[in-house]
Amino acid sequence: MALVHFRFIEYMLIQLQRLIPLPLREKLEQRDSDIWNKDVQFPPGQFVKIKAPSGTGKTTLIHYLYHVRFDYTGKVLVNGRSWQDYDKEALAAMRQQQVSIIFQDLRLFEQLTALENIELKRVMLPQPYCTREKVEEMAAKLQVSHVLRQSGRTLSYGERQRIAIIRALVQPFKWLLMDEPFSHLDEENAQRAAALIAAECRARQAGFILTDLDSDARFPYDVQMNL
Amino acid sequence: MFPFFTLLKKIIQTGVGKARLLMATTGLGIAMVLLLIAIQAHTNFSQLLYGRQNQNESADFLVINKKITNAMMGQPEKSVFTPEEMEKIRQQPFVEAAGFISSSQFKVTAAAPGDLQFYTDMFFESVPDSFIDVKNDEWQWEEGARNIPIILPNDFLNLYNFGFALSQNLPQVSQETVKNLPVKITISKGLLSEQFTGRIVGFSDRISSFLVPATFMEWANRRFGSGTAAAPSRVVIKTRDPANPALVSFLEENGYSTNQDKVKYSKTKLIVQTIVSVIGFFGVVLLLFALLVFSMFIQLVIASCKKEIQLLIMLGTGPGQLRRYLMRQFAPLYLVTGIVALLLVALLQWQAARLLTAHSMYVSAWPGSGTLAAAILVLLLVYAVNLRSVRKYIAQHS
Repeated sequence: MALVHFRFIEYMLIQLQRLIPLPLREKLEQRDSDIWNKDVQFPPGQFVKIKAPSGTGKTTLIHYLYHVRFDYTGKVLVNGRSWQDYDKEALAAMRQQQVSIIFQDLRLFEQLTALENIELKRVMLPQPYCTREKVEEMAAKLQVSHVLRQSGRTLSYGERQRIAIIRALVQPFKWLLMDEPFSHLDEENAQRAAALIAAECRARQAGFILTDLDSDARFPYDVQMNL
Repeated sequence: MFPFFTLLKKIIQTGVGKARLLMATTGLGIAMVLLLIAIQAHTNFSQLLYGRQNQNESADFLVINKKITNAMMGQPEKSVFTPEEMEKIRQQPFVEAAGFISSSQFKVTAAAPGDLQFYTDMFFESVPDSFIDVKNDEWQWEEGARNIPIILPNDFLNLYNFGFALSQNLPQVSQETVKNLPVKITISKGLLSEQFTGRIVGFSDRISSFLVPATFMEWANRRFGSGTAAAPSRVVIKTRDPANPALVSFLEENGYSTNQDKVKYSKTKLIVQTIVSVIGFFGVVLLLFALLVFSMFIQLVIASCKKEIQLLIMLGTGPGQLRRYLMRQFAPLYLVTGIVALLLVALLQWQAARLLTAHSMYVSAWPGSGTLAAAILVLLLVYAVNLRSVRKYIAQHS
């Protein structure tokens, strides 16, 4: 039921209502933030950059948005409903079709090859969003074709990061969450990856929320915020 | 869904508890064989006792009376059945029908016609027609008729022919001869008496008594009897299964006695039932243990892949997908176990049928539908219990 329900929603609206992470509560009383303890709305399809120094809760925010951490006060609303109101199957359906993620710590399965890590996400949907050829094509663009058959265990961080990016791009989504997605890439590779991500987002009319330490001009951001 | 499960296979290793899985499967197999044997044995025994091939009649009739003990002698009222006792007998589940045997409240004498020197005091009894095994057009009487049809016990003729006649040098008589012999019947009470012609219309194996139609008995008791209906001292019951241990114990508890020959199977049946129950009981216990070990195995598998399952859920795998994957890993195992157990029981049954046929006892060469149903039921139970474990432990990690 959940699957059918969400397939027909054309957009995905994310709203934050006075969100405060419990571990940062005291620190946040002493400084201002564009996001914490504010009412924020991320309109569909926007490219959002959130800039913040270490320790201000970038990863925490991304995890709240993806609903894998819950130690906060306030609310994360998705299409007007609090994340807490989604049951496990509905949440799984959202993660398969509406929202994708690139974790800072990448989170690949070491017992699978690079290609299998990507395939796992691609065939999780009974009718995959993109073809196997498309995966090979993206791997070629990011110059990781040669490592596709290698075990996840033997990949370098840079290679893992690019595999994680491809993995995030093989599914349908309206929002892509990225937590320092280029931290292990050189500038040239980062540019290539950014170009691919931008193209894939446009193809889906999707937006993204990207957190990073510094300012950059890799994307034509619609919104830039400080955490 | 299949390519996804192929990948899951590399992530969720089910090999971690192989020894447990083997134990659980073996236990399940043995439990199923025991259970199925118990059910099949029960089916076979029923078939032997009530099957058309092994028996001619589907229902049996028992004549029940109270045991005459020394303490009761001289007190005929202690041997009669009260209406309450009668009602109790009727209410027993194994009694399909019950009827009184009414006895005559008048004197009866019988004399052979012509020159035959034969005269005897006797008695009559009657039972409802549905309890009589002699079906005969002549078995009827209406008020005013001078002929009374009579049914004799087969045993009576045998006693005469092979005991009395031989020792007294009298001629043996056939059933046909007896039927053609009119008997002069005189019934009387005090000064009142009336004469009839008795005709033997049949011989009963079922009820050892001199029977006359109930209509005649009613009329005669009204006319010659005391006027009040006499309490019956014998009751005839119709039962599907005279070997039913419940029937035998009911009779014993109430101090009733009946033709012991007819209930002789009840002991055998009781023994077989006990053995079958014990086997079935062990089957059930073993099944429970197998289910327990299965649950432990599932818990172990899921706990050993806790991190992987958490990451899979994080990447968007539905808990339902994981459940389906895990059940698909286990279910073929049950199915194979179930089929092997069923085949084994089928083989045993075929062998048993062959051996029994040699002794002119016929049971089906195939396992019964009850056995098949039990096998399916056990498999469904195992599936349901395991699905519940999978659901529980997946939910803990998602």
